[in-house]
Amino acid sequence: MDILNSLWAGFAVAALPINLALIVGGCFAGTLIGALPGLGPVNGVAILIPLTFAFGLDATSSMILLSAVYYGCMYGGRISAILLNIPGDEPAIMTTLDGFPMARKGQAADALAISGVASFIGATLATIGLTLFAPLLAKAAIYFGPADYFALYVMAFATIGGITGSDPRKTLLAALLGLMLGTVGLDPSTGVARYTFGSFNLYDGFDPIVALVGLFAISEILFFLEARAHGGGLVPKGSVFPRFSRIREGLGASFRGSIIGFIAGILPGAGASLGAVMSYSFEKRISDKGTFGKGDPRGVAAPEAGNNAASGGALIPMLTLGVPGSGTTAVMLAMLISLNIQPGPLLFQRSPDLVWGLVAALYLANFVLLVLNLPLIGLFTRVLGLPAWGLMPLVVAISYLGVYAITHAAFDLMVMVGFGILGFVLRKLDFSLVPVVLGLLLGMDMENNLRRALSISGGDFLILLQSPIALAIYALTAAFLALSLWLSRRRMMPIPETED
Amino acid sequence: MTDRLAGLAFFVLAAGYVWLSAGYTAGFGDPLGPAIFPRVIGIPAILLGLTLIIWPAHNAEWAGSAGLARQAAAMAILIGYALLLEPAGFVPTTFGAVLGLGLLMGAPVLPGLATAGIAAPGLYLLFDRLMGLPLPLLGTWFG
Repeated sequence: MDILNSLWAGFAVAALPINLALIVGGCFAGTLIGALPGLGPVNGVAILIPLTFAFGLDATSSMILLSAVYYGCMYGGRISAILLNIPGDEPAIMTTLDGFPMARKGQAADALAISGVASFIGATLATIGLTLFAPLLAKAAIYFGPADYFALYVMAFATIGGITGSDPRKTLLAALLGLMLGTVGLDPSTGVARYTFGSFNLYDGFDPIVALVGLFAISEILFFLEARAHGGGLVPKGSVFPRFSRIREGLGASFRGSIIGFIAGILPGAGASLGAVMSYSFEKRISDKGTFGKGDPRGVAAPEAGNNAASGGALIPMLTLGVPGSGTTAVMLAMLISLNIQPGPLLFQRSPDLVWGLVAALYLANFVLLVLNLPLIGLFTRVLGLPAWGLMPLVVAISYLGVYAITHAAFDLMVMVGFGILGFVLRKLDFSLVPVVLGLLLGMDMENNLRRALSISGGDFLILLQSPIALAIYALTAAFLALSLWLSRRRMMPIPETED
Repeated sequence: MTDRLAGLAFFVLAAGYVWLSAGYTAGFGDPLGPAIFPRVIGIPAILLGLTLIIWPAHNAEWAGSAGLARQAAAMAILIGYALLLEPAGFVPTTFGAVLGLGLLMGAPVLPGLATAGIAAPGLYLLFDRLMGLPLPLLGTWFG
């Protein structure tokens, strides 16, 4: 009953006119951003953060806007995947496998409707899961001490790249690089200036928001210039109206995909790409009769439900523990920290309006998205015809004006460009950017928790191994790493790099 | 090959990072001090960088010479945009940046000019006048 009461209060927050407007606007913008090739949730959310600051939105409204955009991107990513065979974002890769063949057979309307309904089922089930499990986890997390938090950060860094395809050494190096960048500036507890090289501009360290916009939005421009040709015309759409019977065929797959995706989303660092891949592989194993890859509706429903469910699941560790489960939730974490709101178990007690307002907003956003994505699909498909040379430069201009509006310093624009070039080089060298962001964001807390633990023990490092919770977390980390090693040995899943 | 270079870069960076940490000392009262945490993260980075030098696994493929030239030009535009935004103002620099990046991405000249010509004042009006984000219309150069 407790949860229902809180949720009811949350709906009162979400139903404020400003928040309703942000939900609708965010869903619309998110679907658009998700549909455009080259822009995904992480870029979309990164560009918007400086703007939410500049407009002075409060934390609850900002989170509602960003989450609506996040959910919207997950819906939108499938549109170009189905119609153009170009995934709008990383998790939509799996949707191209059966979605594009369906579209080529003239069943584009069916495929879009199936994936729209599957997205709705996935996102709604994940939001229900968030409602039920997040408070439980938050209650458990109240007992976490500094040593346990330190263990949790170690787990986040050790597992973030654990099951993705890239070299685990590089994932760790990327995380360490982020941690190193995070130590730049005045040490909060001793006041020593570290790695500032005498520049007063660096005394406050790198603003994570500026770094994020550079890493994700600016580096994308350099990446885009590498391969300019994005071919492929729109496929014949066939019948304009989807058939209900086809939607029904995908329902079972949607429910199975949602559960798998939700679990993948909760795991730190795994995120939506993994949710989509696991849901698709599972569905293929249990119901493939030679039809998968040739336009099977279940092959469209499963990964779409999976990636949408994963995006809801990824919010759980971010809100309850302050450890994000995906790139996009890492970006949201950066925003909360900049607004002086520390996510974690106490968030549920201190800011119930934010937590439950956000959860309620997610329920509403799902309905808005379903409405936007079924009847208005024609509008979004038209957007795909816009040329990249008109859109990408605008992304740059909005990034600049957003960063300039919050910092009013040309120095920070240079920092943004610097991080953009760094992000481009790292991606070229096969380093994932999400661990860098996590390191930059969590570094200070990791150091502070280590500090607190050591001041309890009087400087004895053994305290890190004396708490049962910390030991359980280390055991879980080891189990997770062993599992990922075993999975990569068996080569069951060719997993693309996660940047969602 | 690129893995070896990346490993070397990380090795040098982390070694310098740990070396500099020696200069950070704090007074009493703090159990950790400002130098320990940098070593906790710097030393593993040195070791991991070394393993990349010894056992590389990946070789990045760079764009062809035309692609590299486009990327270099884009970097120049991005840096120029950042440096000139304050002295020259938002509208002129945005016009230049949107036009330059658009042309690099293959825009035909006239539509590219039109996009930049609409976008630069349009973004200014939308964000400064309508939504109240203070942006410099014209910079200090124009009085």
